[in-house]
Amino acid sequence: MREAAQADARREFEERLAECGPLAYRVARGVLRNTADAEDVAQEALLRAYKGFERLRDRSRFRGWLVRISFRLALDRLRSAKRREQRDTLWSHPAHLPAPANAEDIAASNQFQSHLERALEELPEKLRLVLLLSAMDGYTIEEIAATVGVPIGTVKSRIFIARKKLAEKLRCHANSIKMR
Amino acid sequence: MPCEQYKNALVEAAAGSTTPSGELLAHLGECASCSAAFAQEQTLFAAVDSGLHAAANTEAPPSLLPRVRVALDEATAPRLRWVQPLVLASAGIALVFVVFLLARPHRFVQEEVAKQAPAIVPIPKVSAAKTNLETTNSSGSTQVAANHFSHFHAARNSTNLYAAASSNPEVLVPPDEREAFARLVAVLNRHSDVAAALMAKAPQKGVLVTADPLQIPDIEIKPLEGAETETSKGASEKQ
Repeated sequence: MREAAQADARREFEERLAECGPLAYRVARGVLRNTADAEDVAQEALLRAYKGFERLRDRSRFRGWLVRISFRLALDRLRSAKRREQRDTLWSHPAHLPAPANAEDIAASNQFQSHLERALEELPEKLRLVLLLSAMDGYTIEEIAATVGVPIGTVKSRIFIARKKLAEKLRCHANSIKMR
Repeated sequence: MPCEQYKNALVEAAAGSTTPSGELLAHLGECASCSAAFAQEQTLFAAVDSGLHAAANTEAPPSLLPRVRVALDEATAPRLRWVQPLVLASAGIALVFVVFLLARPHRFVQEEVAKQAPAIVPIPKVSAAKTNLETTNSSGSTQVAANHFSHFHAARNSTNLYAAASSNPEVLVPPDEREAFARLVAVLNRHSDVAAALMAKAPQKGVLVTADPLQIPDIEIKPLEGAETETSKGASEKQ
């Protein structure tokens, strides 16, 4: 009985994996700005989601649940990376270089994008998650509200405030917009 | 530079992605600098949205899903890995229990035998190991068993040996006293009354032991033939 239930859960999870795997990765990537770290975090988030999948009564809330797990794990990874970076800085006094980690990231980024992602990182968590989700394809305001667990009006105001804050931070880099 | 009084309104309009309201719209038509600032704000927000879209919709690497599937397999595998040793351990315990149960009645029989006949086992000695003696006296209260050295060693850890199986005490005989002990056993076998006396309980302290008077039969004393001649010789020499 137990094995059959596990097999059913595994099958159902596999069906969601193709859709939700990239979602977990995007959330992590939006926070971490690093492909390898985002992949690790997405994997960890999906694994945790699977372990708790049988306990999830309302399976329709799986997407929101996975987004929150991914976001939380990505934030934890970011904080630990920052602590590690601070330790390394104290040890070797290198120049502060929050540069992307690999050639893929370097190729994909440009100056404005780098500034934007850094500005995104500085946003408060509740604004950042809503803004990321609103920028994702296929996410409506209603879905974001359901995912985050706040009213639709709150989602709208958070998106508005977050965009304004980003614009304020990036206004000094407006010249680089012309270069894009 | 935009006009100070319209500055916030310009940003709000650009951030909200809405068309400016009547008064602002009218001002933008009249003020070139505010109109240029508004266009710049719109460009900025468009760039932010575009950058956000790019950041939020990155393609997941193709290795992600296979990696996740492997991790899922590994996450479920340890449970199965624990099952097999658990089954084996349970089977082993059950087997030991069955063997114990099978051995138990056999041991009881031997123990009963041992209780009926207390065992006395001498300490083995290689030189005297050829002696194999097993004697039971007539009353059946004493049993002496001497086994071959190798047998003794093998049986020492075995329940097949009477002494080991029995709860009665063993009598260990040092090698140098073994011969004397064997003689004692032989005497005990011949005279069962001596053996009974040895096995009898000692009288309690303070209780007088009554003993029948010794009955010594009349002794017939015959003069020695040699003695008579010697006395006659001695008497003649003195004279």
